Amino acid sequence: MMNRRSFVKKVLNGTIAGSLYLVWPLGGDSLEIPEQIPGIRGKPYDILDQEFAFIVDITRCIGCGSCCVADKREYNVPDGNYRTWVERYVKGFSDEIYVDCPNGGLDGYQHPRKDIEEKTRDTFFVPKLCNMCREAPCVQVCPVGATFKSPDGFVLMDEKRCVGCAYCIQACPYSARFLHPVAKVAQKCTWCYHRVRKGLLPACVQVCPTSARKFGSMKDESSEIYEILKGPGVLTVLKKEMGTFPALYYKGARREVI
Amino acid sequence: MNLSYQLRLLIVLISIGVLAGGGLLLKRVLTPESFGVYGPYRADAIAEAALVPIRHGNNTSCFKCHSYETKVHKNGRHQTISCEFCHGTYADHIANEKKIGTLPVKKGKEITTLCLRCHNTEIKARSEEVIKTVAMPNHLTDQNVKLTHDCNQCHHVHAPLKYIIRAKQITGLMEARL
Repeated sequence: MMNRRSFVKKVLNGTIAGSLYLVWPLGGDSLEIPEQIPGIRGKPYDILDQEFAFIVDITRCIGCGSCCVADKREYNVPDGNYRTWVERYVKGFSDEIYVDCPNGGLDGYQHPRKDIEEKTRDTFFVPKLCNMCREAPCVQVCPVGATFKSPDGFVLMDEKRCVGCAYCIQACPYSARFLHPVAKVAQKCTWCYHRVRKGLLPACVQVCPTSARKFGSMKDESSEIYEILKGPGVLTVLKKEMGTFPALYYKGARREVI
Repeated sequence: MNLSYQLRLLIVLISIGVLAGGGLLLKRVLTPESFGVYGPYRADAIAEAALVPIRHGNNTSCFKCHSYETKVHKNGRHQTISCEFCHGTYADHIANEKKIGTLPVKKGKEITTLCLRCHNTEIKARSEEVIKTVAMPNHLTDQNVKLTHDCNQCHHVHAPLKYIIRAKQITGLMEARL
């Protein structure tokens, strides 16, 4: 028997799959890339039965800024705005924290900071992006339903509905959103939803030379993400006390990282 | 005007009907299609988000045509580096399986700048386990080369140890692989 839920599921899978098939022959190049997230291509995408996670390994990040460059190029992000960025943390012996992020890390980090007078105790890079909160504050505040949590766990933007009020930009505890200077709509990191739906890794994950960024499906029990999340290693989320329950986890993040 | 009770009741009912119908019609016109399928948003926006054009390929996309670079890149220490990071995106190069543009190749000092984005010892946040770093210009003086040298004069950019290993094999510092 077909109940309401399965009916809606079927219809929507149909429309989405249908629209994808219409467009794929045009963007045929994308099909030449071997599948990077197993289990997505070649079968209907069950949007109600998906779970993805992102892990940033701070101990492996070298601050090269490949991810920032890839992200800017993938979306033609306007100058001065960043969907993802890499911050440099320096901790002095007095426990003072110094954070900087020149041009979002787009130019890499060529020089050490000269303005810190005390001796450095610890220093590391922290890549930041959308946390894909399970309880997303940005979704809660949108007055027109232009930002939403899709059933497969992505916080996405409906740019056709967005009126550019910027409530979501203020609401995001991670400052992951910005107002597009020309289109005047809010934009944000989507974990490259368009790539994921075609079985490809997000652009930043793909270009990371040290695999400090990892992405994968939690439904695939052989994925690296699943292994790490189920294992005993310490993973943290940013601003846990905000109750946003991010799907973005950090490995090796010091408690000073916010 | 003195209308009968029935007529007044009819007028009231018709007005309610017209208002409610108009309201429903208005709601229908103003609510975007596919709104509310999963929640208070347009479900079609999910499909739209999935259809954003892909601009980055991956190294396999490049290896299809560039066979020499493939051989060198795949066997070198730089195999994890994305071609597109240094050369630009696949979408700027290929569209519909045809070449539409030439991607830049870095030259001279640009290469040194690019190398030092990752390999600069001065940035202490780089774990030795992850990356080998060098101090500049100390590395040049240690290796007895001119200070004006660019990295790629000794290191093949795609496989940084390619020439170094070969040189060591020729001079007998390292056993040659048969």
